[in-house]
Amino acid sequence: MFKTIRSKILFMSVLMLTVLMFAFACYTLISRMKTKQLMVQNYGDSVNSFVRDLDERIVKSEDNLKSLALIGGLFYRTDRSYELTNKVVQRIFENYPETLGGGIWFKPYILDKSKERICFYAYRNKHNEIVLDENFAGKDYDYPNQEWYKQIISKVTPERNIVWTKPYYENLGSYTTMVTAGTGIYVDGELVGIATVDWEIDSVIDKVSKMKPFEKTFSMYKNGAEIKNSFALLGNKEYDYIIASNDPYIPNEKIVGHSLKTLPWYADNLYWITYIKYHNKKYVPFYRKLRNGMVFVICVPKWEMFKDINYFYLNMFFVLLLIGFIIPMILFYSLNRNIIKPIDKLTDIAHKIGRGEDVTIKIEKPEEFAQLASTYDKMTKDIKSITRERAKINSELSIAKSIQYSSLPNVFPPFPNRREFEIFASMDAAKEVGGDFYDFFFIDESKFMFLIADVSGKGVPAALFMMTVKTLINNVSQMNYSPKQLIKIINNKICQTNKQGFFVTALLGITDIITGKTSIINCGHNLPLIKRKNGNYEYLQLESNIALGVFEDSEFEIYETVLETGDIIYTYTDGVTEATNKDDEIYGESRLYNCLNNINDTDPKEIAQKVKASIMEYTDSNLQSDDITMLIYKYNGASNNVKIFKQAADKGYYKEFYNWIHSACKEWNIDEDLTNKLDMCAEEIFANIAFYAYPEIPGMIEAVLTKTDNSIVLEFIDEGIEYNPLEKPDPDIDLPPEERPLGGLGIFMVKQMTDDIVYKRENNKNILILIFNI
Amino acid sequence: MDIILKRNGIDAIYVKAIGRLDIDNAVEYGTKIKDYIEDSDETITDVTLDFSEITFISSFGLKVILELYKLMKGRNGEIRLKSVSQQLINSFKMVGFDKFLIFE
Repeated sequence: MFKTIRSKILFMSVLMLTVLMFAFACYTLISRMKTKQLMVQNYGDSVNSFVRDLDERIVKSEDNLKSLALIGGLFYRTDRSYELTNKVVQRIFENYPETLGGGIWFKPYILDKSKERICFYAYRNKHNEIVLDENFAGKDYDYPNQEWYKQIISKVTPERNIVWTKPYYENLGSYTTMVTAGTGIYVDGELVGIATVDWEIDSVIDKVSKMKPFEKTFSMYKNGAEIKNSFALLGNKEYDYIIASNDPYIPNEKIVGHSLKTLPWYADNLYWITYIKYHNKKYVPFYRKLRNGMVFVICVPKWEMFKDINYFYLNMFFVLLLIGFIIPMILFYSLNRNIIKPIDKLTDIAHKIGRGEDVTIKIEKPEEFAQLASTYDKMTKDIKSITRERAKINSELSIAKSIQYSSLPNVFPPFPNRREFEIFASMDAAKEVGGDFYDFFFIDESKFMFLIADVSGKGVPAALFMMTVKTLINNVSQMNYSPKQLIKIINNKICQTNKQGFFVTALLGITDIITGKTSIINCGHNLPLIKRKNGNYEYLQLESNIALGVFEDSEFEIYETVLETGDIIYTYTDGVTEATNKDDEIYGESRLYNCLNNINDTDPKEIAQKVKASIMEYTDSNLQSDDITMLIYKYNGASNNVKIFKQAADKGYYKEFYNWIHSACKEWNIDEDLTNKLDMCAEEIFANIAFYAYPEIPGMIEAVLTKTDNSIVLEFIDEGIEYNPLEKPDPDIDLPPEERPLGGLGIFMVKQMTDDIVYKRENNKNILILIFNI
Repeated sequence: MDIILKRNGIDAIYVKAIGRLDIDNAVEYGTKIKDYIEDSDETITDVTLDFSEITFISSFGLKVILELYKLMKGRNGEIRLKSVSQQLINSFKMVGFDKFLIFE
């Protein structure tokens, strides 16, 4: 899967980065949680400080109340100076700017039996001025029957003397929702009146809503964002009512004074709850108790609260992702540049060196590759010098090979004027110099010898031995021995020159191109194939003799046959049948058999090429391990320049005989004079043989008429009694006719008419050769 | 072989043959003429052999001619060869027959 260094390193770096990023993500998530906790805590601190502020105001209000109660007590016990008391009240309010208003209220008729209501009241008008309003004591404002008065007067005790009222709407001076804190004025243990301080609730709620909780927490936030949509609640837990709320879904007016449970999200254990769900939004509640028994709750939208931190982590995630891509890229790039590229370059150079190109290697960086490159450089030079040595040896070998090859006849057709036969031979040498060879030549006018042979062993020694054998066979063959003698002499001579223990398998053919009579000698060689006229190629089942050069004085069996027009002999060396394919299977004799029988062509060259193509196809590109040599001989019948007549030696065949001579003369355009001479001579010899050669047992007469460039040769062969007509004395042609004998004229005439005449007795045959010059 | 033999007066005959005087025909040719001469009541002394249609003569033919010549010489007769081609004359010359044969 990861075959290249490139992919391996890329994979590793991606893996490492993934692990790193995963770890970092875990860390981030934990830190985000911690941060959130910290934020909540921090926000809680802000809430605390706000609550402290409120508490402080409560304390101040209560101080205020105590002062008012003190003044009320003083007023009751002393001379009851209205003017002074008014001033003191006014003064007190000036000192407590957070209160809206307040006053001293005496129980009806307690100071003066005639006066029901006595009170001192001051408040802040719209211009923040303290106004003393004496109208409250008038008959328009029946304070003893006001709800707030009743609540306070009924609840104060000497032990617990500060009472907060339920919120109510004030419709006299300031027209706002307010809460009043009151305390009893005791004189000698008797409750004579109450002192009150008014709180405006709306301003408290406003302040709560606009709280900026993060001002000092995260420096990265410039101003500490205002948290939108948060809402607050101020209530009294003890008496279970709502003082104020800015719940966005329920209007304040509807719930003020109602039970805290009116708010759907409220719960007694709110302090312990991390978040509440309200109208499909999550809020973080902050729950605090005030010192006067009130509770303060602020609900902050969760998303709003963590918006910035979430954005921060989201951004961080994207940055990380980006880094996660960029780092492997950089890694890969640098890897590619520093390791892979030099490797590629070296690979490329190695290919070039392999092709024999001249290459200079230049890699300067990195150091390791520079070293490798210089090693390469040295190696290249070494290889070059070695290659030069090899090339020298190879060229010498190839010269040897070409000398060997050129010693074989390789011009085809070798005898362009000969029509009696066609021959083609080829040798495809294996890489090494091998020991195959072939040869062919005329022994005499009509005897033609062809041979194919394989010297054991390979290389230069085998090649040298092959040359010796080839020359030897050629020389000995020219002596015109009979095949049996010839092969024996050849074998003996090879034995005598063979000190190295070589041997030669060979197939020799000696054929008479006129008669087709052929002797074939197989000396331990592959069996040839022969195609008879109109038949198939068949392996010629020859007696196998011992290979040449093994034992001196060996005897050889000779196969004799007569070739007819169109017969083909295919000979080859074992390089053909033992050619192997990639699976080391040999081409074999049956493949050769099939191949030859599928070739329609009868031209020896075509046959050789087709067999070769078949072998090549079979072996594919497998290296040729042995010489592939073949020699093909095709007999076309006696030439037109040779005519043969063979019949029983009987006078009755004379007519056929003379027609034979005449048709030959006509064909060869022999002039009348010469035709006449031939006619006369031929008749004379024919008659002689027919009448005298076979006195007891009938026999054959054979005549061969050959046309050469400047002569006609007529040869008579018979196996009759020995008779040399040339020994017969010539008749005396000057005798008077009366004395002349009737016989003896014929031979005389023949002698007269021929330009040369030869008689020989060979193998119990009378051979008479008549030669006529043209 | 076609042989035409005509009586030309009391003592003369005219022989015309067509073809070759070779091993096959020469004996027939010779025998026919010889028989005629010997069987004739009158003495034939003049034999004319027309060679105009004879294309070839071999030693067998020559032997026959010599035989005829000897026969006629014995009868004090004469033998004459008519219209012999040059080629045949050469054959006669070769064996020396030109020395005693009369060519017309």
